[in-house]
Amino acid sequence: MERNVLIIIPAYNEEGNIERVVSNLVQNYPQFDYVVVNDGSKDTTADICKRNGYNLLDQPINLGLAGAVQTGMKYAYENGYKAAIQFDGDGQHRPEFISTMYEKIQEGYDIVIGSRFVTEKKPNTLRMFGSNLIQGIIRLTAHVNIQDPTSGMRMYNRKVIKVLAEQINMGPEPDTVTHLIRSGAKVTEIQVKMDERIAGESYLNLSRSAKYMTTMFTSILLIGFFRKKTILQEETA
Amino acid sequence: MTATLRIILVLASAWAFYYVLRNIRDQKLQINDSLFWFFFAVLLLLLALFPQITFFFANVLQIESPVNLLFLFMFAILIYRSFRQSIRISQLDNKIKELTQNLTIYEKKNNDTKDETEQ
Repeated sequence: MERNVLIIIPAYNEEGNIERVVSNLVQNYPQFDYVVVNDGSKDTTADICKRNGYNLLDQPINLGLAGAVQTGMKYAYENGYKAAIQFDGDGQHRPEFISTMYEKIQEGYDIVIGSRFVTEKKPNTLRMFGSNLIQGIIRLTAHVNIQDPTSGMRMYNRKVIKVLAEQINMGPEPDTVTHLIRSGAKVTEIQVKMDERIAGESYLNLSRSAKYMTTMFTSILLIGFFRKKTILQEETA
Repeated sequence: MTATLRIILVLASAWAFYYVLRNIRDQKLQINDSLFWFFFAVLLLLLALFPQITFFFANVLQIESPVNLLFLFMFAILIYRSFRQSIRISQLDNKIKELTQNLTIYEKKNNDTKDETEQ
């Protein structure tokens, strides 16, 4: 069976967005497969998906973003996809860039980041200051310049999908990308546009952001030096 | 704070770093769960290197022997941590319960529809 790209849409309490996001994919991008991973939402996200007949993985309990994305990765691996992309259920990510990202995977990159700042300038906000810091420590430890390390829109090839699906400490965050680069993964960025979320609430607040930054710094600057290199293996069919 | 105690604190800190990192390396510990222990190790190191911190707070709280403050402080941190872990265990308990119930109901539904199609 020839299958190429799976769009993984983690959704937690996205009843205000999910229909718009998925129906856009279904109508305008039928060449890609998608799966919604409902992460134990307390609202009607799952009902909306079932009513519309969306391809749905319905988790009965909340695992958090990393757990939901990993569920999607397991599904992608089981079903033989060559690439999988994390695509936010809140409508921030735009599907028109997926095919360009997949071209980069076909060129041999392991990870392709949908980046807001390849050709565009990073604005001077507190959040982007955090982004700059993470960019800096990635350059320091992995010797690669990633302009938009916190972008959630990342596509992975099958080698990386396997690792993300099966191993621990492989959450979809900059520290994992850094660790994979240091393990030999090839990473590139392409310029994308992102939209503001229309409905629902952003997950990030001040204390969560502080915790996030602390985790990223400890993980990249300290733990990264002691982790075993991840082995990225081509499958032998 | 004797020199011996300070040396013990430094050694404990080094050992904590080593032990936590080894468990992450062996894929036994999640990075998120390791943060507390790194901070704990840093704290031990700070207390060993700067005994003035302990002296200052012992003075403020009118505790005669600074080493007693150290014990009290460690107790407080660990008791708080222990309570946080109780909460975490309760949540995990509840998740396992919900998973089991969901799976049981799902299997029942699955078997019922199988019976119907067989009849």
